[in-house]
Amino acid sequence: MQNRPSGFGNPWLQLGLSVACVFVSELLLKRGATDVAAPDSAFSWTGINGLASPLVWWAILLIIASFISWLYVLRYIPLSVAYPLSRVVDIVVPLGCWIFLGELISALRWCGIALVVIGLALVAKPIAQMEERL
Amino acid sequence: MSFLAFAFIIISLVTFVAAQLILKRAMEFSTPNGVRNSYFLSRVAIGVALMTVSFFLTLGLLQRFDLSYLYPFQGLSIIFITILAAVVLKEKLSARLGIGALLITAGIVLVSMS
Repeated sequence: MQNRPSGFGNPWLQLGLSVACVFVSELLLKRGATDVAAPDSAFSWTGINGLASPLVWWAILLIIASFISWLYVLRYIPLSVAYPLSRVVDIVVPLGCWIFLGELISALRWCGIALVVIGLALVAKPIAQMEERL
Repeated sequence: MSFLAFAFIIISLVTFVAAQLILKRAMEFSTPNGVRNSYFLSRVAIGVALMTVSFFLTLGLLQRFDLSYLYPFQGLSIIFITILAAVVLKEKLSARLGIGALLITAGIVLVSMS
């Protein structure tokens, strides 16, 4: 963790950027997939028709960007620290669905999301330590 | 939710986790052996292919379900990794992992009922 670069190369900034890219890409994928949805055709289960939406292509670019930032983060921050922090997407994505996509999230679904988040918080660190050994 | 949808959710998660493990093994192999060998290149190709399958299946699911409905299912990938680590790497499961896995599963059940 020594010689950590500052400015744009700051690994904590890159971790934040990586999470932001994942967050935005998920919302874009949902929008894009809805725009071109063809639920009656069996072929659309493959998702390939989703490529017709420009939003899906933007999402793909963001996924690649988040992947590059993530690889950079892993050079400087241990996985057992970076990985639990990256799970903050599990909180911001449902919030984004509610705020930006106007999805109606029932009390039951909020409770389920909360249980998943608590469970992830418990396992995230041991899992990251496991992955480091993998 | 139909059985078909549930099957696709599980397949997209399993292909994603498998891709992660295969890519990780390939990267470790490349450290002493370099990248210009058929073992490394075939593993990377398999990993990328599995991730692509996972991506498109997700895109198909997003055409049918709310993102706030599908997203919590990604928590199951953690449980798959835990099981794989226990089975493949003979890791001992800690109480903390077990409780966490139970909470995630309970959360998924609530979300699927919603």
